[in-house]
Amino acid sequence: MDEPQEQNQDQVQNSELEETKKQRDEYLAGWQRAKADFINYKKEEMAHLQEAVKYGSEDLIKDLVSVMDNFDLGLRVLEKAGPVEKGIYMIRSQIEDILKKRGLAKIETKKGDLFDPATMEAMTEIESDLPHGAVVEEIEPGYRLHEKVLRASRVIISKGK
Amino acid sequence: MAKIIGIDLGTTNSAVAIMEGGEPKILENAEGNRTTPSIVAVSKTNERLVGLLAKRQSVTNPKNTIFSVKRLMGRKFTDPEVQKDKAWLPYEIQAGAAGGVEVKMGDKWYSPEEISAAILGKLKADAEARLGEKVEEAVITVPAYFDDSERQATKNAGEIAGLKVRRILNEPTAAALAYGMNKQKNEKIVVYDFGGGTFDVSVLEVGDDTVEVKATGGDTHLGGDDFDKKIQEYLVGEYKKQEGVDISKDSLALQRLKEGAEKAKHELSTAMETEINLPYISSDANGPKHFIMKLSRAKLESLVQEYIDRSIALTKETVTATAPKGAGFQLSDINEVVMVGGQTRMPAMVEAVKKLFGKDPHQGINPDEVVAQGAAVQAGILQGDVKDILLLDVTPLSLSIETYGGVATPMISKNTTVPTAKTQTFSTAADNQTSVEVHITQGERPMAADNKTLAKFLLDGIPPSPRGLPQIEVTFDIDANGILNVSAKDKGTGKMQSVKIQASTNLSKDDIEKMKQEAATHAAEDEKKKELVDMRNQAESTIYLAEKSIKDAGDKLPADVKTGIVEKVDALKKAKDGDDAALIKAAFEALSTEIQKIGQSVYNNGNGGPNPNPSSDTNGSGHNPESEPGSEPGTESRQSN
Repeated sequence: MDEPQEQNQDQVQNSELEETKKQRDEYLAGWQRAKADFINYKKEEMAHLQEAVKYGSEDLIKDLVSVMDNFDLGLRVLEKAGPVEKGIYMIRSQIEDILKKRGLAKIETKKGDLFDPATMEAMTEIESDLPHGAVVEEIEPGYRLHEKVLRASRVIISKGK
Repeated sequence: MAKIIGIDLGTTNSAVAIMEGGEPKILENAEGNRTTPSIVAVSKTNERLVGLLAKRQSVTNPKNTIFSVKRLMGRKFTDPEVQKDKAWLPYEIQAGAAGGVEVKMGDKWYSPEEISAAILGKLKADAEARLGEKVEEAVITVPAYFDDSERQATKNAGEIAGLKVRRILNEPTAAALAYGMNKQKNEKIVVYDFGGGTFDVSVLEVGDDTVEVKATGGDTHLGGDDFDKKIQEYLVGEYKKQEGVDISKDSLALQRLKEGAEKAKHELSTAMETEINLPYISSDANGPKHFIMKLSRAKLESLVQEYIDRSIALTKETVTATAPKGAGFQLSDINEVVMVGGQTRMPAMVEAVKKLFGKDPHQGINPDEVVAQGAAVQAGILQGDVKDILLLDVTPLSLSIETYGGVATPMISKNTTVPTAKTQTFSTAADNQTSVEVHITQGERPMAADNKTLAKFLLDGIPPSPRGLPQIEVTFDIDANGILNVSAKDKGTGKMQSVKIQASTNLSKDDIEKMKQEAATHAAEDEKKKELVDMRNQAESTIYLAEKSIKDAGDKLPADVKTGIVEKVDALKKAKDGDDAALIKAAFEALSTEIQKIGQSVYNNGNGGPNPNPSSDTNGSGHNPESEPGSEPGTESRQSN
């Protein structure tokens, strides 16, 4: 009578062992996953932090860029070129230098360039000698902040003749 | 496992979100923006453009730039809605196969599904770039009023874009999900969604694990764009009156004005008045002209009041009218109101909704992103995140240790995820103190006596030494089951005592709420009490210092200086036993100034006696007749493991 009982006990122990093993694997997997999650989270947070530093002043720079545009509009109608005016030009370039140091770069757009929606925004279309779809005039410069297009250049494009 | 993304496929803008760490997170697109214009175009060079790039060339290529295609999804060409839209949409629309709609882009005809698929394709590609892995499945939201064919069309669009659409989710339901409202049983929710081009209002009822749409209403041609247009018209009109110049024909001027108007609208959500300042907007024979105009919030509100009123009337109708027009509820039946859409940031709109329902609407989540976030929440539910088997609890209330003067110094603050452990070093508050009592409390009140006591124990056998010298390391360790182990160890002798508290998180929800409430109601008086104790501690510390300095200086100290200090010490001793913090402060300051004379006189005598330097050491704990561990900021070190 003893033998079957022992067998039974063995079975119970075996299944308990199996169950425990299963749990162990589950817990280990959970732990590994949690640890990996945490490490990944740290990495992502670091990247995020770097992005935040890089683009943290984006709004401010955007606002300042429009001030600079207005400066340019003003300078364009400034007819005289005496020392007073030179001072104003110098102030303007000071602003530009400050922004350059923070990663701002003007997007170079020339007359005759082919319209590229990645960096330009078409304001209107006019007839011209230039080929269809070419830039006739840049009416407001575009800017990049590091790799991101902060504002596209505003252009008038040609619809040919 | 690849992530399922949540997509808000909007009429004007779309957004994508995923679940990360149990929270929905918006994914930025390739241009670095959180929303993507729902626009598709074929450029003049025959290139397919989607999103911002398509928008940038829309003015010069209106016939091949498809926007608002959502209005055509799943519709028959003969639908009166389609005919109405056809009249104003600049691109060509014709009847397609099986009576559907087709739009012309370039020299080809496309179904609205194909256009939407192009948008979804970009969203998918950008999400993959952000995540660095393939995305194959998505939850896409649609307006609650979309019928079967419109839903099917949206699903098809997803499939064309290479996405397995796991669920088509109603936009208002997504918004409710983002706010976690699916868990509240038997709630009636109104979602007020004022988008760029459409206004939708939905009435939802949450049942057992289901969210049922009881009624939908709104106006498919009312939105934030109408606001911008109205402001712009007003500004152009005013400018004409003031300067006699019509700038509505100058495209750059108009563009600048449009941006100025939009900026002003945004600013007026927080400010009462703003200035639209656009130098050199135009010129005439007399030279350049500037645009400078003040716009007040009141003026803005009066300009758009009719739109707000219309939305409120529609909301009221949708809630109260009997089926099928409305849900047939009373306005007072509504438990929650959720605001969706960027325009709902306008305070006048929030106020109008609040007035209608008599309760504050939910607007904590960015209203431009809430639908995408809700779609991500649904995606997370479908994904059944494996990790979620392991649910981690948080400590509902702060666990603190009582420090000198009866202050509850938090060791583990509330809402900390467990398991966790914190260690902090304390010291004695009196000379020759040989034991410290560790009193563990739970609650948010700053004074230990006002919190719940969990346990107390004594650590003795500390060798007699000056106050502040012994280092007693106290560790709070909570395991995943909420069992709190507190140990205190004298680093000098290695002696240790500890206690195990079984049910540190075993409070009922009501208890926790009650304790939090109490903390909030007593906040002001508690703060005063704590200030008084802090002041007293500072006073005692200074008294101790003064007495010690007198003793150390001995005969070197002139009698008049000594008498002066003793007088001030007595005054402070008397003051500190009272409850007048101002009085203690005055006496404390008087003594602080007075004891500086010790240093002065000692130095003047030309010998380097003890320099008590009171100004930098008045924060330490004072003489303490009791045996509590006084928090010693000077020697305290905080570390967490």
